[in-house]
Amino acid sequence: MNQSRRDFLRALPAITAGAAIAPSAAFAATAEPGSETKHRWAMVVDVRKCIGCQACTVSCIMENAVPENSFRTIVSTYEVHDDTRTGTYMLPRLCNHCANPPCIPVCPVGATFQRKDGVVVVDGDRCVGCAYCVQACPYDARFINHDTGKADKCTFCAHRVDAGLLPACVETCVGGARIFGDIDDPDSAVRHLIDENKLKVLKPEMGTQPHVFYLGLDERFQGRVEGQGTLWQPSKHGA
Amino acid sequence: MDSQIIEVLNVTRETAWLPWAVQYFFLIGLSYGSFMLTLPYFVFGKMQHERLGRLALLGALVCGLTAPVALLADLHGPGRFLNFYLHFQPHSWMSWGSFFIPLYLGGLLVYAWLVMRADFARLGQAGTTLAARLYRLAGYGGKAPQSAIAAAALVALLGAILVALYTGMEVMVIRARPLWNTPFLPLQFAATAFAGAIGLMLLFNRLIVGRNTQLEVELNRLLALTLALVLALGGVWLFVSLSGISPSHSAAFNQVAGMAQWQLTAVWAVLATVVPMVLAIRFPASSGLLTGLIAVHSAWMMRWTIFIGGQSIPKTGAGLYDYHLPLGSDGLLGIAGTASLWIALLLLMLDYLPWAGQAFGERKQTNALAADAITSN
Repeated sequence: MNQSRRDFLRALPAITAGAAIAPSAAFAATAEPGSETKHRWAMVVDVRKCIGCQACTVSCIMENAVPENSFRTIVSTYEVHDDTRTGTYMLPRLCNHCANPPCIPVCPVGATFQRKDGVVVVDGDRCVGCAYCVQACPYDARFINHDTGKADKCTFCAHRVDAGLLPACVETCVGGARIFGDIDDPDSAVRHLIDENKLKVLKPEMGTQPHVFYLGLDERFQGRVEGQGTLWQPSKHGA
Repeated sequence: MDSQIIEVLNVTRETAWLPWAVQYFFLIGLSYGSFMLTLPYFVFGKMQHERLGRLALLGALVCGLTAPVALLADLHGPGRFLNFYLHFQPHSWMSWGSFFIPLYLGGLLVYAWLVMRADFARLGQAGTTLAARLYRLAGYGGKAPQSAIAAAALVALLGAILVALYTGMEVMVIRARPLWNTPFLPLQFAATAFAGAIGLMLLFNRLIVGRNTQLEVELNRLLALTLALVLALGGVWLFVSLSGISPSHSAAFNQVAGMAQWQLTAVWAVLATVVPMVLAIRFPASSGLLTGLIAVHSAWMMRWTIFIGGQSIPKTGAGLYDYHLPLGSDGLLGIAGTASLWIALLLLMLDYLPWAGQAFGERKQTNALAADAITSN
């Protein structure tokens, strides 16, 4: 698997061929190719490199046919005043593909599950849209898809990863802030970043063991943000 | 260092458990609460509680039959419920709930049928109309043995306890929402459900069968006691939150304590508990309509606040998510639809079920006349 944008670009011809056969379904079915691999996919988000362009947000929507005003990933943007200084803080958010995901045990029909490669997915055929997993996720990463009436979330673009591609958000990140790879591979970029840096995760106290790691994460944004509520909210779905 | 954070851009997660869920938790609570009130007369044979028992049976049935409809509607596709039975998940409270609901409702329906069987038979004694034939069929066997009634009541009671347990636990286990993640919640759900059921009986006592002052006094006393329990539970929760002995409770309290709308809700909730309690104690023979109405309101409001209010607190973002009640089936129409179904079922039961016992059977009249016969009981 390619671990950086540069590697990815080098392998472009092979990837393009893979794209032709990549499945487009937003939901994963059982017995995915990934379930047989020895990978453990993870992401490192270097918030210092994020410029808040929302290219990841848009590419995710396009790749996964996310309905209007719903988001599998977004870059939360904050205005921060510290004494005399004012700045902007960007925090890309997505499903954390936790090692101990609280969304799975609550599911009453076993529709949401974790593949052996760590990716947490929803079996759309089985999901009843009860939204119990939406409540259980501490990261507000899940939602009910208005088109399907079922639970929806980031899948690390499992259909692309299984075809040897990078997740859409990683591929489009202009600042190289999202690094994706196999943490079980000692030579992978994410493994190196984890080993060589003091990375943080969101809400570590929840014991969910997230597999989206943050580089340069300000502690004030690690949990629920204490501040003034969002200035912009999507309008009603479909409106 | 002074710092101030303003969230400029973030996702707003919509309410995922819709007002349908509020309706379900409200109605199933009123149902199992009402069912408990039927036991003194129908199972233990306390004749002085006949009127309460018969009114409570109506309440348990009408709420119990409406509740699952609201639950199904919340699934965004009624046929989806089949997956609950095809893919049982022992680690999910909701999965267990899908078995507890039919256990309770099945037990309740059999119990209701058994206690009314003699009256069904009486109604079907003569006539060749379709109604008479159906009554004969329902009344087959005549008066049911008390042991059968007790057995059905036991099944329904077990179901009621399990429904009360799972509805509370299902919400309590959500660690992601500190406000829900408290062991007090199942107890608060059960206590307010019982208070709501008593309130419903006070309303039925006034609006369906004329008025029985003795029953109003008894129900008001019971309501005052139950509301005292509700207040005590709220007080202990507040103490645990403020004292700091439980960090998760303190976190839940701190999440909402500073927000004006939550402060208003807290004052409202306390008033909706204290006012009917005071009225019930001071004017037990005349305040039934008001105390009943407020008690039912309070049970609904508590669930609305927990579900809709709870979901308006972002798990990661700042401030609150705005909630505007949609007018369609995801909102107002759902609430109105459930209420309409409830009224329609109540009217049908009042007219076609021998809920008032022998009085209904002998007079073959609708509720107004039949009711007179048990008003004096």
